[in-house]
Amino acid sequence: MSDAPHAEAEAPDFKTRAGIALADRTLKIAIDRTTNTAETKRAAAVGAFPEFEAARERGRAIKDHVIANLGHYLETFERNATASGAKVHWAADDAEARAIVVRLCREAGARSVTRSKSMLGEEIGLPDALAEAGIERVETDLAEHIIQLAGEHPSHIIWPAMHRTREQVADLFREGHVPPPSAEDPGSMVRSARRVLREKFLGADVGISGANFLIADTGATCTVTNEGNAELTTTPPRVHIVTAGIEKLVPSTAHAFALLRLLVRSATGGEMTQYTTFHRGPKRPGDADGPEEMHIVLVDNGRSRMLGDEFRDMLRCIRCGACMNHCVVYRQIGGHAYGGTYPGPMGAVLTPVLDGLAKSRDLPFACTMNGRCAEVCPVRIPLPTLLRAWRGRSWRENLEPRAMRAGLGLWAWVARRPRLYRLASGLGVRALRLMGKGGWVGSVPLAGGWTAYRDLPRPSGKTFMEQYRGGRK
Amino acid sequence: MTQASGPRVALFVTCLVDAMRPRIGFAAIRVLEEAGCVVEVPEAQTCCGQPAFNSGDDADTKALARQVISVFDGYDHVVVPSGSCAGTIAHGYPELLADDPVWGPRAKALAGKTREILSFLVDVMGYRPEGRSLPASATYHDSCSGLREMGVKAQPRALLAGIDGLEMRPLEGAEVCCGFGGTFCVKYPAISNGIVGEKAAAIEATGADLLLAGDLGCLMNMAGKLHREGSKVRCFHTVEVVAGMADGPAIGEAE
Amino acid sequence: MSARERIFSAVRAELSAARDPAQIAGEAAALLAEPDAVRPRLAGATLAESFAIKATALGTTIDRVPALDAVPEAVARYLAGQGLRPSVALDGAPELRGLDWGAVETHSAIAPDEAAGVGLARFGVAESGSIVIHSGPETPILLAFLPLHHVVVLRVADMLAHLEDYAARLEGTEPPRNAILITGPSGTTDIEGSYVRGAHGPGFVHVILVEE
Repeated sequence: MSDAPHAEAEAPDFKTRAGIALADRTLKIAIDRTTNTAETKRAAAVGAFPEFEAARERGRAIKDHVIANLGHYLETFERNATASGAKVHWAADDAEARAIVVRLCREAGARSVTRSKSMLGEEIGLPDALAEAGIERVETDLAEHIIQLAGEHPSHIIWPAMHRTREQVADLFREGHVPPPSAEDPGSMVRSARRVLREKFLGADVGISGANFLIADTGATCTVTNEGNAELTTTPPRVHIVTAGIEKLVPSTAHAFALLRLLVRSATGGEMTQYTTFHRGPKRPGDADGPEEMHIVLVDNGRSRMLGDEFRDMLRCIRCGACMNHCVVYRQIGGHAYGGTYPGPMGAVLTPVLDGLAKSRDLPFACTMNGRCAEVCPVRIPLPTLLRAWRGRSWRENLEPRAMRAGLGLWAWVARRPRLYRLASGLGVRALRLMGKGGWVGSVPLAGGWTAYRDLPRPSGKTFMEQYRGGRK
Repeated sequence: MTQASGPRVALFVTCLVDAMRPRIGFAAIRVLEEAGCVVEVPEAQTCCGQPAFNSGDDADTKALARQVISVFDGYDHVVVPSGSCAGTIAHGYPELLADDPVWGPRAKALAGKTREILSFLVDVMGYRPEGRSLPASATYHDSCSGLREMGVKAQPRALLAGIDGLEMRPLEGAEVCCGFGGTFCVKYPAISNGIVGEKAAAIEATGADLLLAGDLGCLMNMAGKLHREGSKVRCFHTVEVVAGMADGPAIGEAE
Repeated sequence: MSARERIFSAVRAELSAARDPAQIAGEAAALLAEPDAVRPRLAGATLAESFAIKATALGTTIDRVPALDAVPEAVARYLAGQGLRPSVALDGAPELRGLDWGAVETHSAIAPDEAAGVGLARFGVAESGSIVIHSGPETPILLAFLPLHHVVVLRVADMLAHLEDYAARLEGTEPPRNAILITGPSGTTDIEGSYVRGAHGPGFVHVILVEE
């Protein structure tokens, strides 16, 4: 897992990446435009669904049930998918998953592969693996098409190109589309992408999709999309490959619908995606169209380990993106600064699982613990609690800076001795008072992070406890 | 005002109020006594341990949790002028001590009687301010822990509605975090600044004279940013206004 | 050890011992109990009305005809209204093939830039305004994706109330290779979150509701 090919995860550290993002005012404009819309539409969709809280609780219970019986459902799914004529493959980690997909493409003699957006595909590093194998990769989701033209990774799990303004997309399309789009409004640009990609759909040898749900009792995979690119990716080519995480299982189609109601409302504020498609095996005798082979690659990549640790609740995640849309930190720095496949609160929990805590230690700390992500999570994942669990591990594994550990340790030692604490806080308050004048302190040693951006109120000189005792005596 | 028959309430002052703004503690005592409580301030209190808790230092947090439990569990209620400190006691301690056969149940018991002050005044004591007036306009920020962990939303608004002459103006994004986040604001100051910058702009846009909130950490963050930006908005803890103490210096004004 | 064995042994190591499949099935069924408590209520008084409210809100247009034999005329009317030539790709459903298409030219092959395709829906879902198509010898999936205009014939008798009712219809049958719930025209919000209708699939979905 540590060898996942994320260029960003290696290079500059989190604070540097965040600093670059904060300095990019265009990025902020782009993030605000989409997240504001997403937040407003989600609130309206939830408001129009009085049963939402009950549905959430049910969704949580469905995912917990599957996770508690994962072995059973994996076997059931494998049996039913195989019976439908699909071939099921197993990948314990990202490298195995990449190798399987590349081998299948080679066996199919593929020169050109169309891909329908899948975050698992990003997680296992499929785009780079296909490039290394010399196979043409055509991203068909509009946002993935945009970032393919830009040579980037997704910055959001629902809107991978959220970091780009319409003006920037127009620049990319003018360069990358022949003929270029007629205008820079989103409508003209979407029509341009439709023209450019239409021939690619029909000429591909292999189509690769992900799955939003794996239906155990039918062996079907389910994708939900709005553009229609998934069906154009999975129908014309001779071979259809699905890559999916093992946590995507649900017992039946009806269970998938229960989760779908939560997923769509939480993701885009719609009620249903335009296309909810169940794929079950290859073309059957007499079928008017469809692929001749269907392969399903089931990927573990750290998930089975999460079953047994404090991050198990994270396996409930249905990848709606609501947590990041409502995250004050994400909205400042965008997705790329996180440096992993998954950004935002859910990414800050998952990235240490995938890339290791040492490499991503900042992520669980770069959170104000305000709880809004958990409030909007459709399957009630206690994200702040999980982030705090990573902080605990970081502390126990001695990954925190020594000065921080020493400072906090000393403070806690004093705080356990009330009389000493009284004395120390009284002295501290007086010292702080000496550093300022009037009502404010402009700069304080060791608190430069605070005073670089804001003033510090100057304490009045005596602590509450001193004044209270004085008043009573 | 004190009625001997009222509930025995321990005030958990919080380390920040103790050091940075004692007025909030005195305002709390005033309204609690008006509401009929017998208020005590246990001397052995220090800090709830939140800085350690949020840093992942569970061992130190547990030690402080046991100390707070020992000091406070003999009272009818523990009242805190901070949603986040109350949240640490009410949610953090039981979570952290869940597997401890002795301290787990004690943590749960303490959690059950720990309240943020404004919600305590309304929900438990049925308190309404009487004869208080403040001719000013104000806007209110919902501090995150109070809102999401302690259910503080309607109560401060109800109390403020009972103050003559006080005009409340809605704050756009009132439930959005101000970017304080405890150690977050000093660990990731640039990100925190981006967040509080937006909050300050939203506060300015209300045109209100006052900003009110229920957590001193958030208030210091917002007040510090507003002052740095040259804003004239004055910041108070909600309980100061409810106690009729908003005639004194606002946060950052010399006594 | 194969990857499969490694994954299963890891999963089994973390979970309790193997459980009775019947017990698991019972728990799964219980998670579908009281469906009305966890799904939206219908938007209208009847299934057809509810369907129409939801579908039109998404930009789907709706025409109503009394019987199947009025479908060709309704299709001709729609094409004329859109300024299109009276020529459509038609799916293989005998119910549609057997109709008198009169002045509307029909063909089976679907061109990459096909203007309009006409197909028969298996079901409609009133809750969401969705239509359901199944792949099969008579139903090319591409008919619903390549044309700019997708005209769907839906019999009111095939209207289901909720998504779960569709799932129930599949039980005991061999599910199709592709089952697609289509809910409005293709669209995207990938540029700045602003909705653009007509991405890779049809920009127009027109439902002809057959009342008989």
